[in-house]
Amino acid sequence: MPTPRHHLNRQRRRRAALADQSGPGGRTRTPAGVLTEPAPRTGERPAAKSVRETAAEPKGETGARRTTDGRKTGGEGTTRETTGGRRAGRVPLAVLCLLTLLLGGFAGWAYSRAGELRDDPARGNTALTDLARTSEIKGQTGAAVAALFSYDHADTTPFERAGKTLLTGKAVAQHRTLLGGVLAKAAEQKTVITTTVTDSAVERIDGDRARVLVYADQSSVSTAGLPSKGKTAKAGDQGVYAGAMFAVDVVLRDGRWLVENIDTFGR
Amino acid sequence: MTRPVRTPAGIRPALAVALVLTLAAGASAAWAGRDWYAAAHDDSAAYAVQRDEALAAGEQAVQNLNTLDHKRVEQGLDLWESSTTGALHEQLVEGRKEFTGQVRAARTVTTARVLSGAVTELDDRAGRARLLVALRITVTTPDSKSTDKDSRMLGELTRTDGHWKLSALGQAPVGGTAVG
Repeated sequence: MPTPRHHLNRQRRRRAALADQSGPGGRTRTPAGVLTEPAPRTGERPAAKSVRETAAEPKGETGARRTTDGRKTGGEGTTRETTGGRRAGRVPLAVLCLLTLLLGGFAGWAYSRAGELRDDPARGNTALTDLARTSEIKGQTGAAVAALFSYDHADTTPFERAGKTLLTGKAVAQHRTLLGGVLAKAAEQKTVITTTVTDSAVERIDGDRARVLVYADQSSVSTAGLPSKGKTAKAGDQGVYAGAMFAVDVVLRDGRWLVENIDTFGR
Repeated sequence: MTRPVRTPAGIRPALAVALVLTLAAGASAAWAGRDWYAAAHDDSAAYAVQRDEALAAGEQAVQNLNTLDHKRVEQGLDLWESSTTGALHEQLVEGRKEFTGQVRAARTVTTARVLSGAVTELDDRAGRARLLVALRITVTTPDSKSTDKDSRMLGELTRTDGHWKLSALGQAPVGGTAVG
């Protein structure tokens, strides 16, 4: 059923192709063979296939018609295009190649520029740019420093708990060294140390690591020999106020920022 | 089905491939271009750059204001004045003569080293910032004795003509603010 139509189409195509060859300068060119040769091959293939298709579906008249219609229009479209010829095809090809090169070049350049910008160390540091995280770090570091450097001889549990829960890595040893001298005499001198963070600033946040500069005030009072246990400093108490500055490296572990390193600037 | 029919043209598959390549190149160019634009116009990145500029300028200014050689007082004080703006600048200009005399009489050489510094606040639109600078100041007296002193500096920066300059500088008070 579709074969006669197809045959006609094929013939028409071939004629058109021949006309195209015999056109201006067509015969002298060698690609003429290339043009004529595949034509019958390609013409045969769809025909054979459609026969198989119609055989597969015996009463598929509409389906068959649809395919032939589609093929017909397709065939006509290609015949028209072929008349356009390959000479005309070279210009768009060149244009496309040039476009590809230009666009590809721009893509590569833009990609590297974007990468350069992203690699900017300023961008890697999210201190202040990520306000929520900055204040979270500030708050937790301040609380940790206050807990780690405050000591009450009457109740040492908060101090010990802080040492166990807020420190990690080498900060454990650093903390012990820093407070060792005080703790050795703390029990007999009835020392009360209170540390308050007065100022702090986040220097750098790099993912789950951060560095915080801390200014802290430390008051230490030795209440030895006093009858009352009152914490308020009275005349005669050896109250000492000292300002301290140091930097701490903190690291995020299970949602908490732990002190990993205490930098006392060589003091 | 229509593909094989096109082969006679010879150039058609090449054209098709070229078209596909061009489209692919166009798509990647659009993507990379957008990516680059986004990276270049990232607000938080611009803010981060301002933060680092303010910090660098602030640390340098704080260091400048804590460096003075009695043999080169004029140069030193010129540097002080160029590092500052606003009230602090005026203060320095006013007290210059008196201060010059004091330093020449004391014959001290003061140098400073920034141990650490960080910005606490930054308003990049208003051009204001606050920073903390941990400083180690070394004072050398005429008899070549030098003493180190650590200083907890609090500075305020103001951006003037695109440059961050110190508009206030002081030391963090000890004891006074401990409670609270």
